[in-house]
Amino acid sequence: MEDNILDQSTPMRVLVTGGTGLVGRAIQHVVREERGIREGEEWIFLSSTDANLMDAGETREVFQKHQPTHVIHLAAMVGGLFKNMRANLDFWRNNIYINDNVLQAAHEVDAVQVVSCLSTCIFPDKTTYPIDETMIHNGPPHKSNFGYSYAKRMLNVYNSAYHDQERGRFYTAVIPTNVFGPHDNFNIKDGHVLPGLIHKAYIAQKEGSPLVVWGSGTPRRQFIYSLDLARLFLWVLTEYKEVEPIILSVGEEEEVSIKEAAEAVVEVMRFKGQVTYDTAKADGQFKKTASNAKLRQYCPNFTFTPFKQGTFIHSTGNLRKTFWENSGECGLVFTVGLVLPSIALKETCDWFVANYDSARK
Amino acid sequence: MKLCVCVCVCVCVCVSVCACACACVCVRCCVRALLRACVAACVRCCVRALLRALVCILRDAGETREVFQKHQPTHVIHLAAMVGGLFKNMRANLDFWRNNIYINDNVLQAAHEVDAVRVVSCLSTCIFPDKTTYPIDETMIHNGPPHKSNFGYSYAKRMLDVYNRAYHDQERGRFYTAVIPTNVFGPHDNFNIKDGHVLPGLIHKAYIAQKEGSPLVVWGSGTPRRQFIYSLDLARLFLWVLTEYQEVEPIILSVGEEEEVSIKEAAEAVVEVMRFKGQVTYDTTKADGQFKKTASNAKLRQYCPSFTFTPFKQALKETCDWFVANYDSARK
Repeated sequence: MEDNILDQSTPMRVLVTGGTGLVGRAIQHVVREERGIREGEEWIFLSSTDANLMDAGETREVFQKHQPTHVIHLAAMVGGLFKNMRANLDFWRNNIYINDNVLQAAHEVDAVQVVSCLSTCIFPDKTTYPIDETMIHNGPPHKSNFGYSYAKRMLNVYNSAYHDQERGRFYTAVIPTNVFGPHDNFNIKDGHVLPGLIHKAYIAQKEGSPLVVWGSGTPRRQFIYSLDLARLFLWVLTEYKEVEPIILSVGEEEEVSIKEAAEAVVEVMRFKGQVTYDTAKADGQFKKTASNAKLRQYCPNFTFTPFKQGTFIHSTGNLRKTFWENSGECGLVFTVGLVLPSIALKETCDWFVANYDSARK
Repeated sequence: MKLCVCVCVCVCVCVSVCACACACVCVRCCVRALLRACVAACVRCCVRALLRALVCILRDAGETREVFQKHQPTHVIHLAAMVGGLFKNMRANLDFWRNNIYINDNVLQAAHEVDAVRVVSCLSTCIFPDKTTYPIDETMIHNGPPHKSNFGYSYAKRMLDVYNRAYHDQERGRFYTAVIPTNVFGPHDNFNIKDGHVLPGLIHKAYIAQKEGSPLVVWGSGTPRRQFIYSLDLARLFLWVLTEYQEVEPIILSVGEEEEVSIKEAAEAVVEVMRFKGQVTYDTTKADGQFKKTASNAKLRQYCPSFTFTPFKQALKETCDWFVANYDSARK
């Protein structure tokens, strides 16, 4: 493909690494149930059983097999605060290997677009707020997850380097805030805060024991529903033309404390027992407030669901259909997880309860 | 017994590149003479091939592991890297990033697997943030993006500090560390004009210009400023770090800020030492690179208040004399 542009008549062949994880499943849902797969298009969702992406040979083989024109790179070694604190070296090395293998394999098959996934947890610990896309490298990350953080930051270095050296490749990255949704990892020890709370509430309800929230409950987070993130990923894949990354998040005003998140889980799960806070456990970073101003510039028409009130206009299939018909206008609606009653959080909790036996935990 | 231990330590110190640096500071006279003789011969005959072979080996995890398993080092001085001057970096940031990350990962992991108690890696002041206050010090490495001309190399080197912290964090408190030299020069450098660093490039150009009766053309405006450290001084400090410096945090190894010179002053010093009589011109269409990278050596001075650096012109003369005497075999 000359000049890194896909001929308009050539259908996309999209490879999604980490295709069966939290965000991968959400993209599967959005592609199949909302957007639809267009004629000639092919969507391949890889799991760890398809290839060990830490191995260069296996990665190259799976890319050679599928010859993707586009790649959504989600695969990573991930985990919550406590898992990161135990294994910073492994998080650093494994993720560097995965990222190097995927990007190089994509380049070798001449993929015109790779969209990788960063996270707001990788930003400098000592910083002004809100953080924005220009600040990624402006200081060391929080010490609890520096291995993961640096590995993710280096995706931005890869993108700049491929653009710099290899005929102007436009590989890029998105930066979501805390993602949640069905198909998450609900492991209490290793997972993230919201699925951890959901799982703990489920067990506490069953056993008639207190729900113990780790930490003080004071740290603050912006949560983005996996299905909203998936819709945004697809917009970035075809419409976003910068090497510089873009934050995908609800607004700063939607930031909530862990205590508020726990209370929302309690309400949605209808947990009736006691809620306590184990302040001996680490809190992690106090806040990571991110600006979504760049996203708003590109997509001025999207509508956020009000945080704690209002109806859920996105709950109808009609609105979602409208989005895909007007996808060039980026008419997105965000589902903020903690609106009461919280559709995103409720859908997640309902999914977990219905799929308890098979859920990752 | 002590002599055997020293020799064993020297043998077991798996030096990725340039054995002569270690040889010069060996503590016993007979060992020093023996090593110097051996190393001089090795270097003259083999260094180019050795370097290429070692970098190729270290780029491969299996081969790296094999050489470490073979030698079972207790200590490692990790110098191997894909390196180059300004113009080479600007052409190949991706290669500099990827190759150096692979080398560093392979060496550190192989060292860890053979339970080496010490690895001293080599960073550079060129990796510091481009937008910064001066002088730069060891705490500032990650405080902003590096200069765009060599961001691939810079990030790969910065990540050595991340490796050291991660090994310390996860692996039973490993004390792997790194040094941060300023611009190094000396015998056995890469004198390639296109790909090498500024001082060896100037020496080589002056040599050719002298032979051909042509002007010495200095690339850039001559205004950027640098601190230069002689390779033998750096070697002496490396050996001190290897056994005495007990921090995971890196340490800058450099002459003081007051020793910083402009590229113009460096060129004039080369002209004087090489006794170049021709015209000196400045090609301002060529990139200057980073204007300054002034580094503080306060931490070094705290640890080693009495260390004496070789005077710049004396070190430059030794380097130029070596280059002229070894022109045919020198890397260029």
